[in-house]
Amino acid sequence: MTGVLLEVDDVHVQYRQHGIVARAVDGVSLDVGAGEVVALVGESGCGKTTLARSIMGLAKPVSGKVRFTGEVVGGRRLRAYRRKVQMIFQDPTGALNPRHTIYEAVAEGLRVHRIRGDEPALVAAALARCGLRPPERFFTRYPHEVSGGQRQRVVIAGAMALDPQLLVADEPVASLDASVRGEILKLLRDLVDQQGLGLLVITHDLGLAWNIADRIAVMYLGRIVELGPCEQILEHPRHPYTKALLSVVPEAKQMEQQILVGETPDPKLIPAGCRFHPRCPLVQSGEAERLGVLGRCQTEDLGLVDAAQGHAVACHAVSAQQH
Amino acid sequence: MDLSVRDLHVTYRTRTGGVPAVRGVSFDLTWGQSLGIAGESGCGKSTLGAALLRLLPKDATVTGEVLLNGEDVYAMTFGRLRAVRWTEFAIVFQGALHALNPVREIGWQIGEAIELHDRDLGRKEIRARISELLEQVGLPGRRATDYPHQLSGGQRQRVMIAMALACRPHLLIADEPTTALDVMVQAQVLELLQELRVQQQLGMIFITHDLSLLTYVCERIAVMYAGRIVEEGPSDEVFESPVHPYSAALSAAFPTIGDHSSRMAPTGLAGDPPDPTDLPSGCSFSPRCPRVEARCHEIDIELQDAGPRRRAACIHAAAGVEAGAET
Repeated sequence: MTGVLLEVDDVHVQYRQHGIVARAVDGVSLDVGAGEVVALVGESGCGKTTLARSIMGLAKPVSGKVRFTGEVVGGRRLRAYRRKVQMIFQDPTGALNPRHTIYEAVAEGLRVHRIRGDEPALVAAALARCGLRPPERFFTRYPHEVSGGQRQRVVIAGAMALDPQLLVADEPVASLDASVRGEILKLLRDLVDQQGLGLLVITHDLGLAWNIADRIAVMYLGRIVELGPCEQILEHPRHPYTKALLSVVPEAKQMEQQILVGETPDPKLIPAGCRFHPRCPLVQSGEAERLGVLGRCQTEDLGLVDAAQGHAVACHAVSAQQH
Repeated sequence: MDLSVRDLHVTYRTRTGGVPAVRGVSFDLTWGQSLGIAGESGCGKSTLGAALLRLLPKDATVTGEVLLNGEDVYAMTFGRLRAVRWTEFAIVFQGALHALNPVREIGWQIGEAIELHDRDLGRKEIRARISELLEQVGLPGRRATDYPHQLSGGQRQRVMIAMALACRPHLLIADEPTTALDVMVQAQVLELLQELRVQQQLGMIFITHDLSLLTYVCERIAVMYAGRIVEEGPSDEVFESPVHPYSAALSAAFPTIGDHSSRMAPTGLAGDPPDPTDLPSGCSFSPRCPRVEARCHEIDIELQDAGPRRRAACIHAAAGVEAGAET
């Protein structure tokens, strides 16, 4: 790691609906370094996409700051920032204009950002870098003429044409077939390793994180509840929510299944105390009471507490066990 | 056998000629068992699911047999077919939001099927059956007066399952039933389907693109490629020691967390599935196959035995059996 690219510092994003405030992102701090892949995992409704939007400058935080290479994002610098930070969305078919050729799809960003130079050469280089070779063959084709995996490569090429420093990918392979998925992940990882990009990948797929991420942040109801190196989190999870999540993923089946009851909770009604306590298996099994932290689980909201080796957990029971 | 599919072919007629979607699929299923059908988009798995219920549009030509308790679904009169659908076999689709009528109460929608199939039942009995069904799928009976928009995604999928079970079918076909759901809700729905299968001795056909999911809901898996089953066998064995190179690629695409050989090494399969109107000669997987040999381009190999209770359509499969016998 050569340095921190992106710093998210205690960001809160809220939506107002019929006068009720939804705290979609409720105090998140996270950083992404150059040459590093950070996976942000969580269920839908946990605020991970809202966090991505606030990083892109699309949703304004009510408090907290997003910094990029030390400078606060927003205002006049937004235009330059949006060139350096590119986003990749889940559905490549929706992200491409069906009436534009692949050449135009990739060149559009160059034109928007008024990048001078040999446009066809830049487009060709971007396509080739993303595995679409020979690039000239793709210039005049339309999105419907190529496969889903190739479409996602076109989207990534469109982002890479601008020579970004950071990519934010929101479920980059969720809509792709299994055999293509690995190829796209390999491409993303190669771009990070070869060009020293930072990559923040937002996903619900823990197998994806295992495949490419250096670090993982697990998000629950607007907050990061566990953060640390990928192996640490996936092989030795500490937070009961991470444990439950891992136990139901088919990719990790050595564990006993722990199916949480109920739906993903509502960011309009965040429970008091630890936000996970109404669904927490440690509370339900009486483990929290045995450890003497039940009262704190119900009343005391807590942030991430460093456990060891960059592994941080937001859980009263875990903290109590350490002392 | 309770369900027996024999050499089923489905071809869609288009202006430019026939598109073969399913090319000779055969399998058997006993009630109480579960079979998973895995494959990528365009491999014909959803067409196969719909073909079992004779739900395909008119431009599809179907040959072969689908025997339901020995009776051919394609030889039935339309009246008989209507009676059999829902009472013998039912289907759960992927998008529960679109499959439910937004302006009707969910109880009414479940009741409609019961009313149509059992005309002797009175109102009270139907209402009792609706709450019984809702409770079976883990929803309180009073939710019967809710409209679809009042329910979450997982609850809607539960309603779809309740609806499918309304007339006590023997066979449930689930086509990507959990794709739009979150992992935790997915686990809840899968657990529910398992329980129902065991309790009611349901036969279940589970269609999905996610091979790793099938290992935990199904006893047997059939992997489809370009309209054919290319490998079939007990789910753990197919996932952990696949014989066909295509199943191997699919299973490698879902890494095992904790397996350090897959850490930082995502694996995929180069190339794209073949165009069904322009299939390659010989084995249809040969252009993408990492173990391809010259003869693969000539022999269009059929499913053959590849060990106990396993079949695979690959020239290497027979060699695999011998190697397996030695060790």
